[in-house]
Amino acid sequence: MDNFSPGSIQPKAKKTFGGKTSMGVTCVCQVPVAEGKSVQQTVDTLHKKLEQLGAVKQGSFWVDCETYHPTGNVSGQPSKLLYVMHNSETPLSCIALFEGGPCLIADTNFDVLMVKLKSHFQNAKAHKVECRGSRYRYCDFLIKVGTVTMSSSARGISVEVEYCPCVVPGDCWNLTKEFMQSFLGPSVPELPSVFAAKPEGLFAPSDCVDTMTQYLELFNKLRKMQIPGSNVR
Amino acid sequence: MVDVVNVGVNLDAFSHAISGIQALRSSVSRVFESLKDGMKNRETLEGREKQFISEFQDNLQAVNRDLNELERLSGLVGRPSESHPLHNSGLLSLDPVQDKTPLYSQLLQAYKWSNKLQYHAGLATSLLNQQSLKRSANQMGASAKRRPKVQPSTLVLPPQYVDDVISRIGRMFPDMTIELFRPNGTSAVLLVTLGKVLKGIVVMRSLFIDRTIVRGFNENVYSEDGKLDIWTKSQYQVFQKVTDHATTALLHYQLPQMPDVVVRSFMTWLRSYIKIFQSPCQRCGRFLQDGLPPTWRDFRTLEAFHDTCRM
Repeated sequence: MDNFSPGSIQPKAKKTFGGKTSMGVTCVCQVPVAEGKSVQQTVDTLHKKLEQLGAVKQGSFWVDCETYHPTGNVSGQPSKLLYVMHNSETPLSCIALFEGGPCLIADTNFDVLMVKLKSHFQNAKAHKVECRGSRYRYCDFLIKVGTVTMSSSARGISVEVEYCPCVVPGDCWNLTKEFMQSFLGPSVPELPSVFAAKPEGLFAPSDCVDTMTQYLELFNKLRKMQIPGSNVR
Repeated sequence: MVDVVNVGVNLDAFSHAISGIQALRSSVSRVFESLKDGMKNRETLEGREKQFISEFQDNLQAVNRDLNELERLSGLVGRPSESHPLHNSGLLSLDPVQDKTPLYSQLLQAYKWSNKLQYHAGLATSLLNQQSLKRSANQMGASAKRRPKVQPSTLVLPPQYVDDVISRIGRMFPDMTIELFRPNGTSAVLLVTLGKVLKGIVVMRSLFIDRTIVRGFNENVYSEDGKLDIWTKSQYQVFQKVTDHATTALLHYQLPQMPDVVVRSFMTWLRSYIKIFQSPCQRCGRFLQDGLPPTWRDFRTLEAFHDTCRM
């Protein structure tokens, strides 16, 4: 089905350094663990549903988040925590952000810098959250189903759906919602607040910071949850 | 595999002839052996000479007999068939190692295939000539002989006029911007940016649209040397489909005498894609079909349909 282009060899679409393709619109949501099933079993059910739909597995992904407490707090206000996150989609970068505050995208040397800033920022090692799982591709969608773990105990399931061709969340939200309902079931995922909270609202282009903000919200929510009794192995 | 060479040969006479040759060879070597041995010992010189001559004569007569026998047999063997229907290529079939070098069978297959191709191409030409897909105002065929070949005026337009028409169309729609480049000679290449949805490249030939390719808003339009990349397909399936539909559209909107109307209609049609991710299909009501949003736009009403839902 390739079109014949006379006089030239068609190169495959590749991401060149100068003009890299940016991400599409991403939505991260939490999937509740099914009644009477373990986390792993629910994840397997999701994988099966995706494969039935026709999605193709394309490797794995991970997202992690480390928490830093700023020391030397001058005014008695509760200090804002600094979060440093990494994403396997951008393995050479890391994102540092305050919840609801400014954020910074840096390369992986930033972790080394944080070690050097030990006196100002203390690493809360017990609060490190990781999300690992498989990556699926269906048509122009990228679906990542991951298990969120904190100190090696599984806390919940995250699902990230990215619609790659679109950059404006307001345009494709209904489309993405329809797709998510086709494999997550009738429970309606809500519009991520990060899109509505932007200055232009739903019509500003989205980027990787929005994705990481959504993951951060999810991790914080799961961190505050108590470990569910018998559902987690 | 029919062995064309051996048709006229009598195999039996062949083997007899071969033994006849062997007999002839042995009688000739007997002659030379007796000459080499010379005269045998006898009581008188006369006796020796007579013995020698009679032996020699016997040997020569044997040679003569064998030669005649051989000539007779060679007459029976017959000639190999001289009419090779395949001439030199038939000799390829004599290669005994069919498994490793199946040249002859491959040659026959290639020949049959090319014959079939020629036949089908002839059929296709006659069918295609019935549909007039002429996109220029040139008259071809019989009428070209009757009147002198006149270059249609719409095919040779000054570049300034093309620029004017394009900029006028670009001002028609606020959410669509059109940039004009001329990377190769006088043909214009347009870069159409539709909102934040897509980028289309339209290659023109004076004011006729020749080819179009549509890519996503976040994809790279320039190739590595800084020129517009007009060949790479989009990496998203939705825009690959839109490219196919756009090609159908540029073949649909045709009016050789008024090319600026054609370009205007095409741009109006393309503009309907600004809501490609927001509109559900008019027929089934859903957003997605096989993972694709409704990519077809009706040529008259500009309604959105899935590719599989369109009438």
